[in-house]
Amino acid sequence: METLGKESAAADQMKKRYPTRFSAVLFFLEGSKRFFVLGVLCSMLVSFFDLVNPRIIGYTVDSVLGEEESSLPAFVLAFLDRIGGGAFFRTHLWLISLSVILIALLAALFRFLLHVFLAVGVEKMLKHLRDSVFGHILHLPFSWHAKNHTGDIIQRCTSDVETIRSFLSEQLISLFRIGLLVVLALYFMIGIDPTLTLAAGAFIPIIVGYSVFFHNRIASSFLHADEEEGRLSAIAQENLTGVRVVRAFGREVFEKERFEKQNHDYTMLWINLMRLLSAFWASGDLISGLQLLTVMLLGAYLAVQGSLTAGEYISFVFYNALLSWPVRELGRIISDMSKAGVSIDRVAYILNSEPEPEEPEASEPDLSGDIVFSHVSYRYEGINAGVLEDVSFTVHAGETVGILGGTGSGKSTLMYLLDKLYELPPENGSISIGGVDIRAIKTRYLRSKIGMVLQEPFLFSRTLEENISITQGSLDKNERRSMVRRAAGIASLDRTVRRFAHGYATPVGERGVTLSGGQKQRTAIAQMLVKDPPIMIFDDSLSAVDAQTDAKIRRGLKENLAQSTVILIAHRITTLMQADRILVLDKGRVAEEGTHEQLLAKGGIYARIYELQRQQSE
Amino acid sequence: MTKEEEKNLKLPLFGIVKLLPFIKPYRWIMLLMIVLGIASSLIDSAYPLFNRYALDHFIGERTLAGAGTFAACYLGILLFQVVDNFVTASLCGRIEMSVNRDLRNAAFSHLQTLSFSYFNQNNVGYIHARVMSDSGKIGLACAWRMMDLVWHGAYILCVCIMMLTVDVRLALMIFALVPVTVVFIIVFQHKFLILHRRVRELNSTITGNFNEGVTGAKSIKTLVVEDRIREDFERDTEEMRATAVRAERTRAFFTSMVSLMSAFALAIVLWKGGQLTLDRLMMIGSLSVFMSYAINLMEPIRMIMQTLSAFVEIQVNIERLTKLLNTQSDVADSPEVIEKYGDTFRPKKENWEELHGDVEFEDVSFQYPDGEELVLEHFSLKVPQGTNVAIVGETGAGKSTLVNLVCRFFEPTQGRVLIDGRDARTRSQLWLHSHIGYVLQTPHLFSGTVRENLCYGKPDATDEEIRHALSLVSADTVVERMDKGLDSQVGESGDLLSTGEKQLLSFARAILADPRILVLDEATSSIDTVTEKRIQEAIATVIKGRTSFVIAHRLSTIVDADVILMVHDGKIIEQGTHRELMKKRGAYYELYTRQYEEMAADLV
Repeated sequence: METLGKESAAADQMKKRYPTRFSAVLFFLEGSKRFFVLGVLCSMLVSFFDLVNPRIIGYTVDSVLGEEESSLPAFVLAFLDRIGGGAFFRTHLWLISLSVILIALLAALFRFLLHVFLAVGVEKMLKHLRDSVFGHILHLPFSWHAKNHTGDIIQRCTSDVETIRSFLSEQLISLFRIGLLVVLALYFMIGIDPTLTLAAGAFIPIIVGYSVFFHNRIASSFLHADEEEGRLSAIAQENLTGVRVVRAFGREVFEKERFEKQNHDYTMLWINLMRLLSAFWASGDLISGLQLLTVMLLGAYLAVQGSLTAGEYISFVFYNALLSWPVRELGRIISDMSKAGVSIDRVAYILNSEPEPEEPEASEPDLSGDIVFSHVSYRYEGINAGVLEDVSFTVHAGETVGILGGTGSGKSTLMYLLDKLYELPPENGSISIGGVDIRAIKTRYLRSKIGMVLQEPFLFSRTLEENISITQGSLDKNERRSMVRRAAGIASLDRTVRRFAHGYATPVGERGVTLSGGQKQRTAIAQMLVKDPPIMIFDDSLSAVDAQTDAKIRRGLKENLAQSTVILIAHRITTLMQADRILVLDKGRVAEEGTHEQLLAKGGIYARIYELQRQQSE
Repeated sequence: MTKEEEKNLKLPLFGIVKLLPFIKPYRWIMLLMIVLGIASSLIDSAYPLFNRYALDHFIGERTLAGAGTFAACYLGILLFQVVDNFVTASLCGRIEMSVNRDLRNAAFSHLQTLSFSYFNQNNVGYIHARVMSDSGKIGLACAWRMMDLVWHGAYILCVCIMMLTVDVRLALMIFALVPVTVVFIIVFQHKFLILHRRVRELNSTITGNFNEGVTGAKSIKTLVVEDRIREDFERDTEEMRATAVRAERTRAFFTSMVSLMSAFALAIVLWKGGQLTLDRLMMIGSLSVFMSYAINLMEPIRMIMQTLSAFVEIQVNIERLTKLLNTQSDVADSPEVIEKYGDTFRPKKENWEELHGDVEFEDVSFQYPDGEELVLEHFSLKVPQGTNVAIVGETGAGKSTLVNLVCRFFEPTQGRVLIDGRDARTRSQLWLHSHIGYVLQTPHLFSGTVRENLCYGKPDATDEEIRHALSLVSADTVVERMDKGLDSQVGESGDLLSTGEKQLLSFARAILADPRILVLDEATSSIDTVTEKRIQEAIATVIKGRTSFVIAHRLSTIVDADVILMVHDGKIIEQGTHRELMKKRGAYYELYTRQYEEMAADLV
């Protein structure tokens, strides 16, 4: 509910890119429209050719095998008579067969083309849609990501996109095709006999109407069944993830009974639903059967009256049979189409969200200067932790500054603001690098010059080597390899990696090996070293590494990065004490500032923490 | 079984044999369904005969005599057909869902008896898919696919017989087209299935990509690799597009060809049948019947082929599910133990003894079933009733091994674990588990109300007992804040509560069950300091007077423990009290110091 509220509130504030469903659908179809149009054209031809054969049969029966006048259009008859009429075909029956095959060949060709055009169109549309959505997500501000639930976004990108696909490629097209088929068939049927057409056609609205009515009625039952399945699935899921709890409390019987009960309810629901569906299908059979009976009896009557020939009767029955299934499908399609609207809105919500600004006026200045935080205050929407109150300090170029602070003291917030992950509102102070306000610096340029190692780094589902060198575009294999080795060496990762069976080619992340917290942190450090940025931030990123490795990494960094400006956030005084200057952050304010010695002499928070930690190690 | 092996799996009769026990209860209604299905397809194939009669009799002889009888017969058969179709489809649905349900129940209850090594070796997603989706696919195959096979098979047979009775030579000519069609379908269907499989794989890759793009947003931004990630994504979607189009093209090709085959059949009928009619050897009505049969013969053939390929595909699901059902637990009670104490689903509680709480490891060696080396070697430790054992070490160092042995989630490779002086294996798992309380690092709640969750270990707890337990761990405020109190919903896996709240409730749940032995896996994730303090107090309350094993992260818990076991790389490397271990200046000392530093920084 909350998200919905936010969606509409946000909608008022900005001008949406796709304000209506129609404009969104038009965007989805960009670049693929012509294939859909071609598909529709083909489907017209298919319907036409499909409808020609019954007339050939009718002509054959009447004028070739019998002696009746055919009701074919005059120009066709004139042409046939020029060749020699029924008498000629009586000795050349194979010509009729050939024309049936030719027509069928054309129908098959266009049927093939129809499916190919549709497939090309649909897949083009899907690619366009997925690429646009994914690309847009990548450029949405971090605050958007923090606000929206991962599962919900993924669902919009997958199952809602799927619903849109089936709407555009199946339902819409089928609706059109069936409509066209019905119109064309009725046209041909009227050509044979208007009375009979009226009798047969009268059933069409009944069949479609009944089907729409039924599917709308049953929609809520389907929804209900889906929910029950969700519940059953959740019981299984919870039982499996909580298997330790189940066993430890000895509640297997309870779990079994709970599952079986839900399983039974769900099963009964479906069995009832199936019975309803069966009744629907069977009554559809009944209506179609009655329609056929009407056609047969009335056809026979008309034939006896002399206004219908045997050949025409046969053609008519063929047409009637051709329409039977598509018409029955129509009702389901119409009722399914109503589901698409919501999905279009849900996908459009992502595309309508405001991405990070383009910043055409922003500059790309040299970022090796001093970093100045001036009267920075910040407060997250709805969260009380990580608040900053009037923070001012300077990090000189090439200097290493340590920041010490407890959980929720706002030290990470400072770094997020520096990296423009969150935007600092104009009235809340400023941050500048080399004298340039970061608001005037191109965001992506700024981020490319700041190396940030997070406390809980995210690894991509690729190999270790690809992860470490992910920031580097085209490089030759050897160059990449030596670069990765060097960085991994400094980050004390090399020896660990050598123990893996596949070394740097080991896949990690979601679909690979799970690394420990410390290994992840060291991978992230190597990743940053490859980037070689002028500004480096370690956001508590050595917390999962033991003290010896920590010291080794710091030594390595010091030897290799004399030029860079470094901001070091840590809990461990031994990590911080070698920094050129140390800030102590307390409840969003700078409480103390100075070198290790100065802070010790001051006897404040820093000195107390140092004392506590020192006592421990003795 | 590798993916490749699964793809080429060939089971006798598509593996249906393995399912016999699940099909057996429904054999009679299945038989009824088949008989009715055959009747339905028989009638369907007979409909053109009415048309023939109309053509030959009414139209040919120009009379309406007998129209009433004709209509009555037609209506009678139509009504029978309608009822028949209704019953057949309902039965089909019933069989599908019943087989589905029975398979799910069997799989689920079997899972309740499997040991932890099974759960360690197979991830939750995999097992869940076996229970939920394999069973569904198999149910579908047993009912609708079976029905498709029967219906279309009977239809083809009827049509062939009808054609043969009308005119043998003409019928044979049309039959000649069948093998061509079949070979055609087999070749292209196979091609299509291979492509289609690839499409499904790509589909899950793309979902994974979306996941990465969303969960990795922070890293993608700070590394400025949006373009790189996007390019890779577009490469996947491009492959998806190309493959899907190819798959669709293959399918379009062979469906068009099948419809062309129908036209060939029609052409033959017109040519040869027309000749017969001209020679007065065949009536117009018969010719018309022949035409409709010829046209309608190819589609059922395609349907049968499609159904057969669905049966080929289903083998993998049958294999996986039956494999699960046939997995034997490697921690099983002996027949004598079951005789006395009952099994998982039928406990004999009247024979259960009290549990006092003495635990002893006696010369225990242990190796995980999927592990390569012994993680415990000749380990002995006496834990008298009321002792508090802390287990410490790095993440992933194997701290849960001892706990797994105490709970008998695993059994020692050598040696014994004694509970109250008796080998744990001489009493039932359920007996032991009923006396153990377990609080997980990531607290696990079930969807339902707060009360249902708290009573999980003690279903008959009174409100008073619940409130007492809640106040003991000062979780009463959590419940007070919720609008419906104890009857408030906690959401799926307790999602409506914060991690800290879930922790407190799971402590209350453990204490309510009043276990003699308590196993506690402390949380590492940082929670706000107030909740943290409450949780620490809760721990102190809960372990008082009980034998407890704590996988410890908090300094207070460690320092006060009676015995500390330091684990590294799966092995216990140090053992003693806090004081002893600090003096030793080993791994424990190093770990403790590091944690102390973090705590000190938070103290200010």
